[in-house]
Amino acid sequence: MQFESLDPRVNRLRLVRTNEAFDVGHEMDQWQTWEVFHQQARGDQHRHVGIVHAPTAEMALLFAKEQYARRMKCVNLWVVRTADVYASEYEDADMFEPAFDKSYRESFGYTQTRARIDEYRKAQGLTTPAAAETEKQAEPVAAKTTVKKAGIVIGKKK
Amino acid sequence: MYGSLSIIEVDNWGRKVHEEDPQKLAEFEARIERGEKIEPQDWMPFEYRRQLIRMIEQHAHSEIIGALPEGTWITRAPGFKRKLALMAKVQDEVGHAQLLYSAAETLGKPREQMINDLINGKSKYSNVFNYPAVTWADTAVIAWLIDAGAIINQVANAKGSYGPYGRALDRICAEESFHLRYGYDTCVHLATGTPKQRQMLQEALNRWWTPIMHFHGPPDKTSVHTETLMKWQVKMASNDAMRQQFLDMYVPKIWELGLTIPDPNLRKNTETGLWEYTEPDWDEFMRVINGDGPCNAERLAVRRYAEEKGRWVRQALIRPTERYVTPLA
Amino acid sequence: MNTEALKDLLFRLADDDLVIGHRNSEWTGIGPVLEEDIAFASMAQDCVGHAQSYYTLIHELGEADPDRLAFHRSEKDFRSCHLVEQPIGDYAFSLIRHFLYDLAKQVRLEALTQSSYAPLAQLADRIRREHKYARMHATTWVRQLAAGSDEARLRLQSALNEAYPMALGLFESTDFTETLAAEGVQPAESVLQSRWQQLLEQTLAGTGLSLPGDFDAAAYMGGRKGYHSEHLGPMLAEMTEVYALDPEAVW
Repeated sequence: MQFESLDPRVNRLRLVRTNEAFDVGHEMDQWQTWEVFHQQARGDQHRHVGIVHAPTAEMALLFAKEQYARRMKCVNLWVVRTADVYASEYEDADMFEPAFDKSYRESFGYTQTRARIDEYRKAQGLTTPAAAETEKQAEPVAAKTTVKKAGIVIGKKK
Repeated sequence: MYGSLSIIEVDNWGRKVHEEDPQKLAEFEARIERGEKIEPQDWMPFEYRRQLIRMIEQHAHSEIIGALPEGTWITRAPGFKRKLALMAKVQDEVGHAQLLYSAAETLGKPREQMINDLINGKSKYSNVFNYPAVTWADTAVIAWLIDAGAIINQVANAKGSYGPYGRALDRICAEESFHLRYGYDTCVHLATGTPKQRQMLQEALNRWWTPIMHFHGPPDKTSVHTETLMKWQVKMASNDAMRQQFLDMYVPKIWELGLTIPDPNLRKNTETGLWEYTEPDWDEFMRVINGDGPCNAERLAVRRYAEEKGRWVRQALIRPTERYVTPLA
Repeated sequence: MNTEALKDLLFRLADDDLVIGHRNSEWTGIGPVLEEDIAFASMAQDCVGHAQSYYTLIHELGEADPDRLAFHRSEKDFRSCHLVEQPIGDYAFSLIRHFLYDLAKQVRLEALTQSSYAPLAQLADRIRREHKYARMHATTWVRQLAAGSDEARLRLQSALNEAYPMALGLFESTDFTETLAAEGVQPAESVLQSRWQQLLEQTLAGTGLSLPGDFDAAAYMGGRKGYHSEHLGPMLAEMTEVYALDPEAVW
């Protein structure tokens, strides 16, 4: 017996009622999955946005484009087979947390330098103008610029 | 879009919480307590995993089945703007299903199994989609008020403890806001249009009021299990609280359009601040959930058709060396 | 510039895109796999959107607004070809139709970007960019499915045998074909057809699929002159069902 549907599309399918058990029939029926990485604008990092099921990389990319970039601004997509991702364990997440003071490798670990200069200048009675202003303004810029050579941060001059 | 139905199977609890490893359970609960998310590879209580799979899977089914009642009107939408918007909206529902199945997969249930369980009737989906969209105005009411109900539910669930579900819901909620605007705009045009259009809308509202009141599920049962699921941040808001929120936000908007809500007892109690209403027919709700709604058989038959007719396409492209790996996130 | 000739062309472009977009949208929610369902729905939307833009150009030439042109015009006035009017059929048919249609669309759009009618040239250029995906989608699917299994290749071949003769109707000449070519609006249909034929052959090379050699294309001609397949009438009746309740109403 067919369905009398309100949906003309459904009527055209000529569906038949059945009570037969259904099985997709193959354990890979929906294919493997691919992890999708999305880059919003040139210069941005690619960001993981989800997965698609697809048989091949080309198809995964076709699918990813419409599932993950039909609204979001996008300039580039990557797809990586889920099976090829080698990931750390959340159980080991504690190894990412520094257990000891690691401020020696952070910029905030160097806050007393100016005080040291001022102290010295005061003790020596030096009268040449202090460089403090220039230094303060250069810092945030320096943090953003690229690191050239070994660890030397080239900041823009004011 | 999705409401609450039997998502939380409170009575049928597979493993007692006290049977879990007490130290792992304590760490797990402390993590949630701190507001941290649970990720797929984490240890989790048996019932946390089971209830989440059940909930996310039903949500996914609701999206793919939800594409059908509105899909009814894709080929008949009047004018370019509505035609394009409805095409995009129904497409979004399919997209939401994809996102949600993916989130459920991270818990270890492959999509193939979820499809089998849907079509064999082992797994439920939101009751509202077993009702027909009789006229164009029905799609407008669905897009506005059913989606509005869904947003309330999904915004709450997006704050839940399971990372992949929350991420999927964030994206879904963003898209739902388009649905809501589209639905509202369509209803407003009918309400402010010709007498025929107004009548069409009123009739659709009459038809949909019961399913709307059913949408957030039966009045809350309180049990130890419900409390546990709330503590685990699987269940984020009570059905009644969500229904109250819905009434608060949308009844004034419906009345503003001069429409009549088919419940003479509906009013806000100024003392309690709560809405009072006639309880919808919960027997009907149970009947429909158990398969005896106006469209249950058709909905599943359409899904079966889609899977069966698409099988040669999918199976032609399976590579013999492919192995399924649970998605990571 | 001959406005009647221009309108004749624009109606063909608009009607084809509207009708195929409408047809392809029927797959929404019932596609072979969720991801493809989404992709196909996007391309259907794109086609309907392109149609709307072409109707806008027609409207700017003094005709009714796009909604009225699409939803309130008689079947006889439609200029769509028979290929796009066919029901969705099996996925092999819809896929092959999409393949034949979108390669033809690519060839046409490339020519139209050089059109002497500037608004059309500009529109063609915008559509061409969006259309890149449709082309990629069609070719990837056809190539991969043809290589996928014997069953898939046979299904595609039989769809190709059915759809290819219909697709020739895409290039049916009209009374305005020569004028349009002479005025530099669009090359002659026969020129576009041979470019398309070449592109098809290149794309199908190595897939094991071949274009049918023995067929009667005459049966599928006439769309450009208002003689349609039996499918267009019912499709339009369905499409305009709500709009026709009250064409003056705002929906």
